[in-house]
Amino acid sequence: MSAVEIDQVSRWFGNVVAVNDITMRLDAGVTGLLGPNGAGKSTLIHLMAGFLAPSAGTVTLDGEPVYRDPEIYRRVGLVPEREEMYDAVNGWSFVLANARLHKLRDPESAARRAIATVEMADSQHRDIRGYSKGMKQRIKMATAIVHDPAVLLLDEPFNGMDPRQRLHLMELLDRLGAEGRTIVFSSHILEEVEQIAGRIEVMVAGRHAASGDFREIRRLMTQRPHQYTIQSSDDRALASALIAQPSVSGVELTSGTDGSIVAVQATDFAAFVHALPRVAAREGIRLLEVRPADESLESVFAYLVAR
Amino acid sequence: MSEHAVPDRGAPARAGAIHDIGYRHYDGPRHGARYIQRSLFVETLRGTYGLGRSARSKVMPFLLLGLMVLPAVVMGIITSYVGLTAVPVRYTDYVMLVQLVVTIFVGSQSPAVMSRDLRFRVASLYFCRPLSRRQYVQAKLAGMTVALFILMGLPVTLLFCSALLAELPLDEQVPDYLRAMAGVAIHAVVLAAVGLLVAALTPRRGLGVAAVVAVLLVLSGMELTVRGLASAFGNDTFLGYTGLISPYTLVDGVVTGALGADSSGGQAPPGALGTVLFTLVTVVLLAACYSALVARYRKALG
Amino acid sequence: MNSTVATLTARSLLGRRRTLVLLLLPLALLALCTLARVLAGLDPDIERDLEGPLAPDLLGAFGIAVLMPLLSLIAGTGSIGPEIDEGSIVYLLAKPLNRHSIVVTKLLVAIGVTVAFGVLPIAVAGVVLTGEVGTVTLAYAAGALVAGVAYCAVFLLLAVVSRNAVVIGLIYALVWESLVGAVVPGAQSLSIQQWSLSVVQRALGDSARRSGIEAAVGFGVGTLLLAVVTVTATTLAGRRLQTLRLNQSE
Repeated sequence: MSAVEIDQVSRWFGNVVAVNDITMRLDAGVTGLLGPNGAGKSTLIHLMAGFLAPSAGTVTLDGEPVYRDPEIYRRVGLVPEREEMYDAVNGWSFVLANARLHKLRDPESAARRAIATVEMADSQHRDIRGYSKGMKQRIKMATAIVHDPAVLLLDEPFNGMDPRQRLHLMELLDRLGAEGRTIVFSSHILEEVEQIAGRIEVMVAGRHAASGDFREIRRLMTQRPHQYTIQSSDDRALASALIAQPSVSGVELTSGTDGSIVAVQATDFAAFVHALPRVAAREGIRLLEVRPADESLESVFAYLVAR
Repeated sequence: MSEHAVPDRGAPARAGAIHDIGYRHYDGPRHGARYIQRSLFVETLRGTYGLGRSARSKVMPFLLLGLMVLPAVVMGIITSYVGLTAVPVRYTDYVMLVQLVVTIFVGSQSPAVMSRDLRFRVASLYFCRPLSRRQYVQAKLAGMTVALFILMGLPVTLLFCSALLAELPLDEQVPDYLRAMAGVAIHAVVLAAVGLLVAALTPRRGLGVAAVVAVLLVLSGMELTVRGLASAFGNDTFLGYTGLISPYTLVDGVVTGALGADSSGGQAPPGALGTVLFTLVTVVLLAACYSALVARYRKALG
Repeated sequence: MNSTVATLTARSLLGRRRTLVLLLLPLALLALCTLARVLAGLDPDIERDLEGPLAPDLLGAFGIAVLMPLLSLIAGTGSIGPEIDEGSIVYLLAKPLNRHSIVVTKLLVAIGVTVAFGVLPIAVAGVVLTGEVGTVTLAYAAGALVAGVAYCAVFLLLAVVSRNAVVIGLIYALVWESLVGAVVPGAQSLSIQQWSLSVVQRALGDSARRSGIEAAVGFGVGTLLLAVVTVTATTLAGRRLQTLRLNQSE
């Protein structure tokens, strides 16, 4: 198991601070690097991959700095964001060349394995020039895993993939992460991150805005009231009973897709969750549906970005 | 704000609605293809000098323009202060003198005009507008031609101005100047045609520049060598026709023969037949480059 | 020297269009030499010129002064420029490879292309002109070789350092070495042209004076400078590659 340690790292380009005092530790499992475009995710991945020197702080892999050390690439695989590869060769030759450049003892079987893993065995003898975007992504993936790395860095890996390919890649990353590898991938598409990342690191405008499980992050956002939508047998009575509760800051009688609902804003999540069933029981109101309205990664993210 | 509910086809109540958010369809008069062409021409012309693009793209063209103008300015100053009776270099000879700088300009800017659209596959965006391939090519050619006209015409004009300032006799200077400017115009259109064609055929970054320069330089070098061989060979007719090989000497031959200037290359095209041939070859070259360019854009997704 | 890097470089360098442009140059030279030979057969004056100024003109002024810089420019910048520009260099850099060995391998491929498309044709041209594999042929081939090596190293460094490597290289090879060199005497001692010419001059021996070949520097200085420039450029390119910043998609 290899750990990437990022310790108070900043990186600036002239006046633009791309990465601002970030500290994180990435070890086994899948970590999603989440943030809007321009947040500094690519810069951070390049810093981790040893292609940029930190302007401040250190980036280390198992204790050794990664910058200007080509040997780290024996343990690190990188899937770059850019689409362009060596167009003039075919997929098989390219992956094989990568295997050879890694100085593997048996490049042919490593290349065969990698290509089979990304399901490109059928098209491997066609020129890369003729590949679709999704095929190029898969070949990129193959070149990154051909040397069985302990750390895998992926910069926007799901770009251009159709749903089936995306699912396949997610399964692959999940499996690799379960094997104890350190997988870091960046994305600005929340659904992707939500589904496979055990941990997320949110970056906004170069700063490390939040980390951990996204539901936990939501719990921590105490300044923002939690939203719930409730369908019940008597909305108005429920609403008036709830507003009397100290954990509730607002109720609204409105209609949703399935009929009328009570929209509740709760300032104290824990207290509200206990109070709701008690209130309903006391008033004799039947609760048909209770749904947290903003506990998705999207709302967490929107909140963090808007801060 | 009005709401138009879409009638649902008997499905359970998930009503959809189309909202009026103020979008207005434009039904008024539109400019035609000519307007597009003119805009493309202006944009191309400005683009060759880096105007309307990043600061870095201005460095090379203005540097080269400076290199073009510098000798003219120096000569102009010398003429005035030393009191020469004629400008050190004939107006019609100036382009031949600095042809290397012109070659580099054509080489570095032709890809900027042609290759960017091709490399980034933007060309198809132009053609989904009411703009035909011919109009696209014409606009690009016109832009580059005017840019080269400025490049070559400016120093010649500066030289002429310095002659005026030095109060050299007008009846000698003006006809020569006019001949030179006509020559500059023909040089501009021929070099633009050749340069843009080679650039359109080599969209990869660096290669376009090298290819255009290689073509122009090799042809110039060949012409020089063949001229040397021909003069050693001693056959004046042969010597007169060597100019056909390189665009610079080709145009120079047209200017010499048709407009009566003195040849900058050393030998005028032999007689009326020579002049006609040179002119004909120039016209055919232009037509061929133009057709090839239009054909190149037949698969506009290039 | 890494054979995988060499193969990848060669395959991307010798794409169809680039190869066509590369072929244009030696073909022009050979056409001229053939023409000269044919004319020489018809005219004794030219026959005499072949011994005199023609070989230096064709092989020197056209071959070494125009052909070699252009070929080396296309080969030298083409061996690494497009990869850096497109970002595909990352596939070479994200490997446990010594950066200097990447540069040296690419340089060797570029030199190989330059030799095949430049030095060999110049040698053939020499044979066509003089009718034998004699001093003239070998002298100019040697000059072309050292010029090619030095130019390739310099242009490869330029391609690593700047995105406008081709134009800068052109301005150096054409404006500096030809125009400025003709006007400013000092500039000639800083010219790969002149250093190669010193090699030619030395190889020609006495006949150099007869043909009017006069390099601006002596043989010793010339070869030393060629070697220094080649090694320095290659080393700098390797060091620059260690800290190369990958650019994002445009």
